[in-house]
Amino acid sequence: MANLTKNLPNANNILRKQLKNGATMLAWHNPTSPAIVFQGLLTPGTMADRHGKFGLANLTAAMLMTGTQKHDFQALHEKIESLGASINVQAGKLATSFSLQCLSEDLPSILDLLVEVLSQPSFPENHFNRIKTQILTSIAIRAQDTGAMAGDAFDRAFFDSHPYAIPTIGYAQDIVGIELEDLKAFHADFFAPHTALLTVSGGLAPDRVADMLENSFGAWQKTTFKTQPDLPEFIAPQKALREHVAMAEKSQTDLIIGVLAPKTQSEDIYAAMIGNNILGQFGMMGRVGDSVREKAGLAYYVQSALGSGLGPTPWQVFAGVNPDNLDRAISLIKDELKRFANEVVSTQELEDSRAQMIGRQPLALETNVGITRALLSIERYQLGLNHLQELPDKLKAISKQDVLAVAHKYWDLDRLTIVSAGRELT
Amino acid sequence: MKDNLIQTQLSNGLRISLKEIHTAPIVSVWCWYDIGSRNEVPGKTGVSHWVEHMQFKGTKTMSGQEMDHAIARVGGYWNAMTSSDWTTYLETLPSNHIDLALKIEADRMQNSLFDPEDVEMERTVILSEREGAENDPLFLLGEATEALAFKQHPYRNEVLGFQRDVETMTRDDLYGHYQNYYQPANARLCVAGDFDSQNLLKKIEALFGNIPSNNIVSNIPKPEETLSEANRIELQGPGEAHFAQIVYRSPAANTDDFFAYTILDSLLAGPSSLNMFGSGSISNRTSRLYKSLVETEMVAGVFGGINATIDPGTYAITLIGRPDRDSEEVLKHFDQQIEDLQKGNIQAQEIERAVKQAKALFVYGSDNITNQAFWLGYAPSFADYDWFRHYVDNLQAVTPEQVAQIVQKYFSPNNRVIGFYNPVKGF
Repeated sequence: MANLTKNLPNANNILRKQLKNGATMLAWHNPTSPAIVFQGLLTPGTMADRHGKFGLANLTAAMLMTGTQKHDFQALHEKIESLGASINVQAGKLATSFSLQCLSEDLPSILDLLVEVLSQPSFPENHFNRIKTQILTSIAIRAQDTGAMAGDAFDRAFFDSHPYAIPTIGYAQDIVGIELEDLKAFHADFFAPHTALLTVSGGLAPDRVADMLENSFGAWQKTTFKTQPDLPEFIAPQKALREHVAMAEKSQTDLIIGVLAPKTQSEDIYAAMIGNNILGQFGMMGRVGDSVREKAGLAYYVQSALGSGLGPTPWQVFAGVNPDNLDRAISLIKDELKRFANEVVSTQELEDSRAQMIGRQPLALETNVGITRALLSIERYQLGLNHLQELPDKLKAISKQDVLAVAHKYWDLDRLTIVSAGRELT
Repeated sequence: MKDNLIQTQLSNGLRISLKEIHTAPIVSVWCWYDIGSRNEVPGKTGVSHWVEHMQFKGTKTMSGQEMDHAIARVGGYWNAMTSSDWTTYLETLPSNHIDLALKIEADRMQNSLFDPEDVEMERTVILSEREGAENDPLFLLGEATEALAFKQHPYRNEVLGFQRDVETMTRDDLYGHYQNYYQPANARLCVAGDFDSQNLLKKIEALFGNIPSNNIVSNIPKPEETLSEANRIELQGPGEAHFAQIVYRSPAANTDDFFAYTILDSLLAGPSSLNMFGSGSISNRTSRLYKSLVETEMVAGVFGGINATIDPGTYAITLIGRPDRDSEEVLKHFDQQIEDLQKGNIQAQEIERAVKQAKALFVYGSDNITNQAFWLGYAPSFADYDWFRHYVDNLQAVTPEQVAQIVQKYFSPNNRVIGFYNPVKGF
């Protein structure tokens, strides 16, 4: 039998290194893999968008893939696609994320392209209108997606005047007015290699990957840059909120109920993780799944999710229901939330969820994507290089009372934000 | 034992494929049944999918919740899928709990309850699943074009079934379907991961060997080899986004045409991945349709995708439109690309790139045991495991001339369905 536990990424087998330009890299060797996955982050994110230019970070990220100083659009994609590789760049709230996947033997050339994309974009004018139109089309498609509209409406209501209320993709009316010069200035001002976090997993030895990264990414130096605005303080809604987005011709209504989640680095996080698993993850989606789907047959999907991030994130329950069943679904979910916030979970529930979260580690860490995702979290949230090995003990230390305390603290039923999107309410 | 693979059959007809992979302490167990919407009859569309849901509701010995919690407790996950050609159930879990997955599959092959109350509860869940899908204009467009692409063959019907059939089917319809098709002789048990094959075979024999197989009455439809005429459909709905689908006949997967067709798909719309659980994808910016339609700002996006099916199916190219472009003009540009291929303007280099991409996608897909187990059962659903083994070699053997012949054979403007979704303001 293979033993993954002893080989879990840890301080002895993760190579963590600072590159000469200040970027941080973490690499792990997956000797059975003939491929490489690379995931990274660097500032800026949409936090650097200014009023009237919401969508600039997202548009900039999309335009990075249209050409570099050395490769025009076709040459760039010919090189990437002819090797069966992929490079993706995407804006997030606090950072721009990027990823790369290729066969191990192709890493040197693909890595050079990724660094070019991030550091030397050409922002070709002949692709600008096309990319803008594609983003505007995405906004139009999202406008017909009840899940996306419920998500946007939740963020608007919940985050109110906080920048997280604005969708990452931006607003159509702002995007129309953004000029190519705005993108160039945004890139010159904010893209900062020293803020980069690079994680790698695959069939190359970490030392070799580190040399490649030092020679390619490490060579990207930048001495003048602006820092993106600090995240403003967030105070969660102090009263119950109810919003509905009316959308014509929709058979299903998407529903979100949420509150503020504990911070990923807070001491509440492990009790909240177990609590969330009991509430809406375990098996066929925990207590809410059992109540709304299994017992009442009201929804095809219902689950809860605990947000993670350096900024404020919500703790939410999601469901997709027939419009006629919306009120009943809300009522059933609220009943479960009331029970969750006021009654101690059973010993069986605690043990089941703990066992699941510990037992699934090998599955979550089976692939290069799973490993790089874990390495990103380890570094971003300062969890320590032995986090994956220590996690089972941290979960085992959580008691039923710890779960109740966290559930009670965060799920204030008088301050729920409830949002739905679908057919007009009657 | 080729690639650590054992293929055998029990005396009751159950086909078994075992592939040892010792890279991680994980095992993935799949139980495939040769039944899908392809075998359904009018008035009972969606029965295969509904039966799949009922298989999570429990047996005489274990409730659905007990099964569910037992899998979750060990850190595993389980799921099921119904397609036009098959229904399959899977459990991926730590390898020291393999007995649990085998026990569940053996149990629900013969002992599922189909409690009338559960049937009614699941009726609304399935209607909700369908309603969720209907929210997406592309689902509506796909359902409309597929219905026109076949005269009689059940590939014309959505796997979820028609709403009126889901509303009217009875518990007996479901249970009869279960009793008929859920038998060892109609099933394949496929396991990949960290186990010893000989020990596992003994366990399988003990759990499944005594399950009887009776006569199976199967509705086998007549394949529709060609799409006999040109057809058009226009849907209207809310929103601002325009979509178009151009649908051609695709060959059955177990034919020589399929490989040249796969290369054609890659050249036209970018590489499709048949991996269901693989990580990784490759963009389509160098494909002919991206260059000719997206880069020239005729459309906002394009994608295509080929499916491996038992009978000849459909190949759909989806265009995400732009409000400032006339759809007939777009179609003219699209047809120019097809004509160019029909004339044989295809470079060997393009095929080399398509093969390299297919190889890379296979490597990416092999990095998890669930996907490897999936292929053990998926390839035999329409051919055999050798189809998978020789897939890349067969792609590599395709010539530019063969690709041109495929375009000439399948891509006639007189044998296709074109569907438009036109948004209407104030709908």
